[in-house]
Amino acid sequence: MSNEVSVSIFRKRLRKFKSLKRGYYSFLFLVTLYLISFLCPLLMNNKALIVRYNGTTYFPVFKYYPGKEFGQEIYGEANYRQLKDAFKQEGGNNWVLMPPYPYSPYEHLLDLPGQPPHTPSAAHWFGTDTSGRDVFVRLAYGFTISISFALVVLLVDYAIGIIVGSMLGYFGGKFDIIVQRFVEIWMAMPFLYTIMIVSSIIKPNFFLLVFVLGLFGWMGMTFYIRGEFYREKAKDYVSAAISIGSNDRTVIFKHILPNALTPVISFGPFAVVGYIGALVSLDYLGFGLPPPTPSWGQMVQQGMQNIFDWWLVFFPLGALFVTLLLVVFIGEAVREAFDPKVFSRLR
Amino acid sequence: MTSYFIRRFLLIIPTFIGITLLCFTIMQIVPGGPLEQEIMKLRMGLAARGETAVGAGGTGTGAIEIPQEAMEEMKRFYGFDKPIHIRYFRWIYNLAQLDLGNSYVFAEPVWRVIFQRFPISVYFGLIGFILAYSVCVPLGVFKAIRHGSPFDFLSSFLVFLGYSVPGWAVGAILLVLLGGGSFLNVFPLGGFRSEYWENLSIIGRIWDQVWHTILPVLAYMVGSFATLTVLTKNSLMENLGQDYVRTAFAKGLSEKRVIFVHALRNSLIPIATGLGHLLSLIMAGSYLIEYTFNINGMGLLGFTSIVKRDYPVVLGLLVINSLLLLTGNIISDIFYALIDPRIRFK
Repeated sequence: MSNEVSVSIFRKRLRKFKSLKRGYYSFLFLVTLYLISFLCPLLMNNKALIVRYNGTTYFPVFKYYPGKEFGQEIYGEANYRQLKDAFKQEGGNNWVLMPPYPYSPYEHLLDLPGQPPHTPSAAHWFGTDTSGRDVFVRLAYGFTISISFALVVLLVDYAIGIIVGSMLGYFGGKFDIIVQRFVEIWMAMPFLYTIMIVSSIIKPNFFLLVFVLGLFGWMGMTFYIRGEFYREKAKDYVSAAISIGSNDRTVIFKHILPNALTPVISFGPFAVVGYIGALVSLDYLGFGLPPPTPSWGQMVQQGMQNIFDWWLVFFPLGALFVTLLLVVFIGEAVREAFDPKVFSRLR
Repeated sequence: MTSYFIRRFLLIIPTFIGITLLCFTIMQIVPGGPLEQEIMKLRMGLAARGETAVGAGGTGTGAIEIPQEAMEEMKRFYGFDKPIHIRYFRWIYNLAQLDLGNSYVFAEPVWRVIFQRFPISVYFGLIGFILAYSVCVPLGVFKAIRHGSPFDFLSSFLVFLGYSVPGWAVGAILLVLLGGGSFLNVFPLGGFRSEYWENLSIIGRIWDQVWHTILPVLAYMVGSFATLTVLTKNSLMENLGQDYVRTAFAKGLSEKRVIFVHALRNSLIPIATGLGHLLSLIMAGSYLIEYTFNINGMGLLGFTSIVKRDYPVVLGLLVINSLLLLTGNIISDIFYALIDPRIRFK
């Protein structure tokens, strides 16, 4: 007998996941990037991090200061890049600490030589778009938005899927048939088209878009979970649980659900690919997030209207490709670890 | 089995009613319907002429009231005076006769507007479909046979590409690269035919058409490329691991015969069921790709009519697409039951 501590199945699967280098490293990389992207306002912004002026320390990144506060003769917010140069020229004890990449996604840079859109250069790594906004910064902020969007929709769909799917699978019978009709009706509505119609009526913001996408995308998840529940319900442990008197809720949530969820976990990353793709497609057509939100699809749309400015198309689509590729790698690894059917890999 | 099919067809009716009800409800809550448009026109007309109608007093700014009798008359004209279920049935009745109302933008019957774009969408859809299947299925078979080889790895890269990037994105990149952007200028920026198409010779016309078709069809194919190839490959490999294949080899059959005659037929089952959606694929068009390439098909019509708030066309297309999807699902189910003898529904 070995002296191994017994390991739960989940732990084993996690270990397997970690052993799949490509998926695991993609996962780490993506998660790190995502977490860093939340610090974007500190890393890429046209507001200074710290300003020391006449003995007092200011933190403009957290609070708004008008230009007059620092002695600038402009209206509205201070221009911190100019301030930095001005202070440097003056000498003295005033200094400005700018973020590493000192441009904001909403700022129109009209003071560069030539006309927007500008080609990539040392100062602006990916160039600017037609309104003079820096592409790299918009890409970065768009990254946060895209992934956050996909994650929230995933949560919503998982929630609906679990609730509805578990009930369908567990109770079955007439209830199942009726609700399946509804699902069939819902599935027959063309996905993107209906969303476009809805979003042309009510101009959506982030959460409304999440709601609409969740409303039309929950079917896949629900069907999956329902199938799993049907399969599990026939197994012995369910009859055992019922026979010792557990009520329906306990059987569903405590007994069946943990087993039913494992194949559904492998469905998650591919659903994320779908959601990110849907958001980018909607933005590309102009029915997604409202301007001036930095979104990849909107940048590609601009790029297609200015086809000689290749950086407007290449960089957003490149970012999209890399992101989705990473998620697909993660999905492959998750599927291999959690739901290994011998020949089901995406290769 | 027959009872299954009969039941399936009977179940179409509630689903159909449900879909049309949903579309009808969307139609009602959508602002800018015909009644409201007429009211707007009237209001602006009254304001322009400086008249104040009955009920408005004072300065005349703000809401100008339209006389009650005029409102009633208009309601009766557009059929809004009847209760909602009568309106619904009337709409269904029109639908059955393919009368979808008149487009606001084109002042033509909606059906004619849609029908005009029909051939173009069908053209691209059919070509894309045929090409996709004729490339992806053999590719999948090849990958299964040469599993693990360099060819397998290389084509896997293409598969990943097709899976991660949406079709229109590939189209966009191809356009920028090859369509006269900053790089090469091999293909046109889009459109269906050149403007001077009429003036070309027969050969010229054919060549011009093909020239315009290549990039959009490539974009169409990318979408199904990944899924179809991987499906074929996995299905074939799963079958190759089965006992009957082992038996066939033990009997002494040649490898070619075993794979192509025995295993392949069974692996084609999941693919054949996808044919059910052929109908909706061909006819619905893809608005994303048509938007990218400026092709005047049904997809682009759907998109522009939403932008222009041309609601009769929007809803006509919605109904058509929904019904096509529904039919596609059912045909897929039927194919599945017909082809796979293991499926015997109760």
